[in-house]
Formats: sequence, structure tokens, C-alpha cells
Amino acid sequence: DEIGLIPCPEARYNRSPIVLVENKLGVESWCVKFLLPYVHNKLLLYRQRKQWLNKDELIDITCTLLLLNPDFTTAWNVRKELILSGTLNPLKDLHLGKLALTKFPKSPETWIHRRWVLQQLIQENSLPSLVTKGNLGAVPVERIHRLVQEEMNVCSEAAGRYPSNYNAWSHRIWVLQHLGKLTVKVLLDELSSSKYWVSMHVSDHSGFHYRQFLLTSLISRTVTDNNVLVQNQMINEQNPSLQKEESAGAEAACAEEQSVDVPCHLEEELELCTELIDTYPGHETLWCHSDETLNNSHHSPATSHMAQAMDVDGLNESSSKQGYTQETKRLKRTPVQDSLGPEMEYRFIDKVLSTCRDADQARFATAYRKWLVTFLGQ
Amino acid sequence: THPEHPLCPRSAYCAASVASLTNILTPALFAGTAEWIARCQNWEGGIGGVPGMEAHGGYTFCGVAALVILKKEHLLNLRSLLHWVTGRQMRFEGGFQGRCNKLVDGCYSFWQAGLLPLLHRALHARGDTALSMTRWMFDQTALQEYILLCCQCPAGGLLDKPGKSRDFYHTCYCLSGLAIAQHFGSGDLHHEVVLGVPENRLQATHPVYNITPEKVMRAVMHFLQQPVPGLEPGE
Repeated sequence: DEIGLIPCPEARYNRSPIVLVENKLGVESWCVKFLLPYVHNKLLLYRQRKQWLNKDELIDITCTLLLLNPDFTTAWNVRKELILSGTLNPLKDLHLGKLALTKFPKSPETWIHRRWVLQQLIQENSLPSLVTKGNLGAVPVERIHRLVQEEMNVCSEAAGRYPSNYNAWSHRIWVLQHLGKLTVKVLLDELSSSKYWVSMHVSDHSGFHYRQFLLTSLISRTVTDNNVLVQNQMINEQNPSLQKEESAGAEAACAEEQSVDVPCHLEEELELCTELIDTYPGHETLWCHSDETLNNSHHSPATSHMAQAMDVDGLNESSSKQGYTQETKRLKRTPVQDSLGPEMEYRFIDKVLSTCRDADQARFATAYRKWLVTFLGQ
Repeated sequence: THPEHPLCPRSAYCAASVASLTNILTPALFAGTAEWIARCQNWEGGIGGVPGMEAHGGYTFCGVAALVILKKEHLLNLRSLLHWVTGRQMRFEGGFQGRCNKLVDGCYSFWQAGLLPLLHRALHARGDTALSMTRWMFDQTALQEYILLCCQCPAGGLLDKPGKSRDFYHTCYCLSGLAIAQHFGSGDLHHEVVLGVPENRLQATHPVYNITPEKVMRAVMHFLQQPVPGLEPGE
């Protein structure tokens, strides 16, 4: 489940340079300068049609090459051909990529190939029967969910192996967009599972940026669902007897998604920032994240759209969607703006400035206050 | 990749750069490109690799330079971009970081600092009266200090930061950044700030193409004199 290079400049004993300990593969470094040119050359000769290699040999050679240098695009492309011809199980490449990333967590070509493989996997029709063996015979939704989860793990591992791993985080976002379809469930799951990770990596700007992406996606998701809900209600008003069952189903789904409490999540995010800023003084990322979360909470279209939908709901007596109505009541009782008010932030800044001893922390706090004054006009 | 969907600000920049120098730039060729790049600008103010991604110095330069070539800089929020890039100069080191909360790196002397001339020009075109007539909006002296004192390899060549080894990429972009830091404006409005001995002075570099302005002019003149290639092969 992991590969690595063992620093060993000379071959002292006449034995294999491959070391396998507890499922971790090590290669003694002295052999690389012999092995890599050898396999590299073999592959190039094959590509130049000067020397034939059969399918198994190709699989072996590319595997070796990629574990030594995963940015060798040609090797990945040979494997693409093998996958398309049905000789190679695409899942093997996901595993190979995962292994390569343990040593080369940034490798751009590995991530790119991974996205190609995933795209192949979700195109049901073009799959050779090879892939339906193993545990992927399950229902497509279930299967995609498992793929998404696995990708989240791979990204998380890679992000832990290299700080602010841009490629890992952008892959993670891509997976949510293309495999996870940015559903509310997926977004909320990710919000809760990434919380621990970012708390352990407080300077990882990419990690916090990911949370911004999740929150903004949630906000636009809620707006879209609100619009659908509002439209459905308007239709219901006009044709109460028509298609009640169908729209009820869709509305129930919307209602379930509607129970996303965006202001609450933004507030939690701000609390998380505050807690981390207190615990770990002097991390610019945390302050930036705070800025943006507060910015989102004030300009969130979700809050204004919710207010609109609220009125429509009030007029529609026949509404019986409990979740939605309760949500509406909560909004009416506690105006969103105040609970995330700048007064709270000013108090927080004052507290930080009076108690902190870190010069950077003081500077960030002062800058944050300046930002509050300028951008919020408070 | 199709120019309309560059999938990356870098490819857009390469394409726009080449097309404009060789006089094959047409609106059709870049239809939709400017709008796509603008979507890559995020809440931080900088530009990411794809819409939704973290702001990154390399992508930001390529995106902005491409937009300058396409004359569509106004699609961006220039104010938040200015705020982001100026925040990337490190107050202790003097050099620039590529992204928030990361370490300084010599190559960003060009990717990040190089944005200030572009922004200066864009804001000037909008009639901004607060712009300086002698300095870019970053600490030119501090950047030169970082490059000259920290980024030189004793055996020749330049590098990322002390402790790293030299390579051509860092040599190129450290020097490009040094040139940007030494020269403000052009023509009548040219103002130099050279740190240290006069021998440290480099030639000015073109802020969009990063070759000398004279070479840009020669390239443009050369291709203007060529017949424009037709669209059909073998024409």
C-alpha cells in the first residue's frame, strides 16, 4: 500500500534490491540507474515498432516505469490503450496511481490519468465485462458513491504528504463536480469529514479553500432548490388537482435538501476559524478563511432568497412540508444578519489583540479589522 | 485543446501570445476564452487553474496576460486582484509567494510581481488618477534584495530559495522578475531603480511577453509583412 526508495548507494550483497515489509514496497536506490533506463528503453523501442512486447509484458513494464517516474506520460498512454482494448482492468490503474502517489503526491500526470480512468468507469456502456467482476457489480449509484469515497481518501492522503497540494485538492473538487454531481449530501458529508483534517493542517490554504468551495456550492445549491420549490408551489397554486403525486415527490426531495441550514453552517465555519485562530496564532490562512466566510454570510443569496420563498409559503395554505415550514419559522424568529454580526467579530479581534503575544497574529487581527471597516462599511 | 475551452489559463496565454505576435489573432479563434478565464478568478482575487480552484501566481499571470492581449482585462475584478497580488509579497523575505500561506519562491518574482505592470496599465486605461508615475505597486527594492542576496548560486545561475539547487526555469524567472523590479514604465515615462552597483542593471522586459520590447516589435513587424495564412490547408 506504499512505495518508497531506500537510500543505498552501493550494492553490497548479491541479492535483489526489492524489499517488501508489511505490504510496503521498497527499492534500493542503487538499482534505479540500471533499471529505469532499461525499462524506459524497452518501452520506447516498442513504441517505435522496433521491438514487440506482448500485453503482459507491457503491463509489467509500464507498471515498473510509473512507480519509478509517474510523470512519464507515454507509459500512462500505453495503459490507456490497453484499457480501451479490454486487456487491462481500469481499477488496476486506480490502484497503481494510488501507490505512485504515496511517493509522488503531486505527480500531475498521475492525477490526469486518474481522471481519464474515472471517466471511463462512469460511462456504463463502454465498459468491458472485466470490470463488473469483483465488488463493482453493485447498483450504479452505490458504485459511484464508493468510487467517490475512495477518491476522497486518495486526495486526503496525498494532501497530507505534501503541504498545500494543489493537484490533489483540484482533483478532489473535480471528483465532487463530475462524479458526485455536487449533491447536498455529498457536500455536507465532505464538510464534516474535512473538518478534522483542516484542524490538523492549519496552514494548508488549499484545505481551507476546499471548505470555501463546499460552502459556496451549498449556497448555490440551496438557491437552485429554492427556485425549483418556489416554481413548483406557483404551479400548485394554479393547478391544485393536477399532478399532485409527481410534484409531491420532487418537492419532498427538495424539502429534504431544503433542510440545509446554510446560515448555520456558515456560523459553524466562523466558530471553527475562531477556535483555530485562538489555538494556533499567526496563521494567515485562518484569517483569510474567516474573511471570506463572513463575506459569504453577508452577501449570501441564500438568505435573501429564503426570505422571498418564505412569503410565498405564507400565502400557500396547503403547504404541508414540515421541514420547510419549520425552517421558515426559524428564519422569521432569528434574523440571520445579527447572529453573524460584525459586532461579534470586533469583540473577537479586540480579545485577540489584547491577549496575543505573536507579532503575526496581531498584524493579521489588525488587518482583519481594517478589512471589516472597509468592505462591510461598518 | 480547443481555444474556446482552454482548460487552463496557461494554454490560453501561450495561444494568445503566439497568435498576437504572428498576426493570426482573430475574435473567432478566442471566442469565449476571455469569459472562461474571468470565471477562474475566485474570492481571493487571484486566478486558479480552473473555475473554483485556489488562486495561484502562475495561473494568475497567464490569465491576466492573456486577457491583456485579448483586450478584455475589464472582465476581471481588478481591485480584488490587486489586493491579492500585493498581499503575496513577503514582508520579511521581500520576494513573492505563489499562494497564500506558502513559502517565498524566486520564480514568483516574475509571475506575481509581473502582474503589477499589467494592472498599472489596465487601471491607467480606466482613468485612475491615483496611480504613481514612478513606481509599480510593490516594493521594488525589497524584491531586488531577495533575488540578488538569496537567489544566486555561487557557481552561476539562480534558484527558488537558499538551499535549493539552480535550474534554468528559476534562472529565467528570477532574472525576469529582477528586470520588472528595476524598470518602471517605458518611453518617456521610464524610471529605473537599480539596487547595488550599476552592473546589476538588466535590460527591461516586456510585461506581457517577457522578451525585450524591441524583440516584440521586431516580431510583430516581421509577421505584419507576411501574408496572413488562409484557413484551408495547402492554400
